[in-house]
Amino acid sequence: MVDAVLLVLREVLEAALIMSLLLALSHKLQLRFRWSLSALFLGLMGSWILAQYTYEITDAMDGTGQELLNAVLYFSVVLSVVVLSVLILPLAFAPPLATHRRTPDSPESGSRHKLIYGLFIIIVSFSVAREGSEIWIYLSGFTNQSDMISSVYIGAAIGAGIGVSLGAITYYAFAFMHKKYFVPVFLLVITLLAGGLSMQIAKQFLQIGLLNSTAPLWDSSFLVNEHSWLGELLYALLGYDARPAPIQGVFYLLTVSPILLAWVWHTWRLRANTHE
Amino acid sequence: MKRIINSTAFVYLFFCAIAYAEVPTFTIEIRDHLFFPSQLIIPANTKVKLIVINRDATPEEFESYELNREKVIMGGAKAIIFVGPLVPGDYPFFGEFNPKTAQGIIRVEN
Repeated sequence: MVDAVLLVLREVLEAALIMSLLLALSHKLQLRFRWSLSALFLGLMGSWILAQYTYEITDAMDGTGQELLNAVLYFSVVLSVVVLSVLILPLAFAPPLATHRRTPDSPESGSRHKLIYGLFIIIVSFSVAREGSEIWIYLSGFTNQSDMISSVYIGAAIGAGIGVSLGAITYYAFAFMHKKYFVPVFLLVITLLAGGLSMQIAKQFLQIGLLNSTAPLWDSSFLVNEHSWLGELLYALLGYDARPAPIQGVFYLLTVSPILLAWVWHTWRLRANTHE
Repeated sequence: MKRIINSTAFVYLFFCAIAYAEVPTFTIEIRDHLFFPSQLIIPANTKVKLIVINRDATPEEFESYELNREKVIMGGAKAIIFVGPLVPGDYPFFGEFNPKTAQGIIRVEN
């Protein structure tokens, strides 16, 4: 049963953290939360469908179907996160969120909100689909073992519960953050998260041999071991890897640079404006 | 348009050919939630192709933190996983769906 708890916890945690972060952002931006219901529904449906077609997906593209599909899912999430970060980055330079009035009548803000909702839905539903499918596949292996099946289901429920609880803690930690700190901290965390996901994309290509790995950049397992609970938590949140391959570093930088550049550009523009 | 599709397919297959060309291949089987062999020796500093065949009816996930590899293998299916080049050492792997029994180690030797 403990195996079931840990496995489901790991998968749920990855999706729950992303969802909590976006819900907190949604709350701070005074947006509606209904997107999360659509995202969850689409994600769960998607995860079910992916699980049903696993044989076909695995055999597709000469046995590389699984990795390629994972890469596409991760890439969509990473791209959406980068676009979202660049969109909300100006808020870090604007007056405090308290004075940021939502203007529901202005069409410009309406279409911007639609885009943000769309990005939220893509990020959450794709993440839930990706992690959820693995849970369904895992559970499907026990349908013929009636003696184990109940303990597996209970373990899965416990694991899911813990994952959701950790997500809830994350949500409240961010939602109750002081307005001044929220956007910068959120941007930092979401950028690191996107970086971690981009390393996953590289990992998929390494696995099918489309990319070549060389010696790892470093080995930080003496600091934080991937098997420890801290290592697992950092993996879920930031994609922590104790032995990252150089190409993973490249993907990381490629993902993080647009956000960094946007930050630098806004800082420069702010300085230029205040000097006039 | 047809030319674009043709050249994309060609480039893709070209990369696949590079990926699959002349790489030492090793096979691991999963039977009764155990890995056979549970200890595999592979050459150091060489890209290696692992073929993992799941002889069980239930799915398994081949996973290794040290090797940085993770793949779901359905019952009766096989998976191709590339590892390396690796420096000499021990790289444990496990079956995430049955971690208590499905354990193995890849020993990289010169």
